[in-house]
Amino acid sequence: MKDNSDSNNARLSALLRAARPAPALPPRFQENVWRRIEAAPAPAAAHWLERLAAWILRPRHALATAALLLLAGVMLGAHEGSLAVRQDAQARYLANFMLDSLR
Amino acid sequence: MKRPLLILVGAVVLGAAIFAGAFLTGQRTSRLVQEQPADDLNWLRLEFHVGDAELARIRTLHEGYLPQCAATCREIADKKRELEAAGGDGTNLTAAAQLKLQELDQLRARCRAQMLRYFTTVSQAMPPEEGRRYLEKMRALTSATQTQMEQSMSGDASHERHP
Repeated sequence: MKDNSDSNNARLSALLRAARPAPALPPRFQENVWRRIEAAPAPAAAHWLERLAAWILRPRHALATAALLLLAGVMLGAHEGSLAVRQDAQARYLANFMLDSLR
Repeated sequence: MKRPLLILVGAVVLGAAIFAGAFLTGQRTSRLVQEQPADDLNWLRLEFHVGDAELARIRTLHEGYLPQCAATCREIADKKRELEAAGGDGTNLTAAAQLKLQELDQLRARCRAQMLRYFTTVSQAMPPEEGRRYLEKMRALTSATQTQMEQSMSGDASHERHP
């Protein structure tokens, strides 16, 4: 009983294969596929402006740059203010001695 | 192409604004913290790191010196006026004018000597290293004034070119 069923399945499979024949590949199919892949143009590189803009827009970079500018501004401003205060104070101190009298 | 350029310009403007704002804030804060417009001696505190006790001693010296300085300066101003009055007709140096000139030089020398004495005394009231630095600076300023006067009188380097 079982032998009979197996032989029927084998025949059915052979019939199905015959009903859907696989088309034959053209000659040198694989070689041509690779040639076309290699010949395809590479995706265009982004312009440097676009890359820079993309870099700037990253939150981490934007925050780091802003923090750096803030720090540099405060430090330079404080230094500049300190120098100006000293110059004013020196002029005020020297004004006491009326150095013009010596001229 | 236009969008990245706009982003970059915006970033530069924003960065410049952040920097300028921070700079002005730092400058103003520094001025507010250090500036003492009512105190003539604040420079000594800022430049030579003079403490409160030393500054009090220097203030006493300073207040003692200022009337002397003002009196000498008044004498110099009076002597200058006398010299102008004794100038004669402007073509000849009269004997009286020569005398006034000598007196003016003596007064200036006295003023300079007083000043240097005062600077030395003040420098001794400071920590030694700062005192040395102060004295050097004040001597340089005094002699710079003297040199300026001598150069203006001698016509700068013209004498060196035509000895």
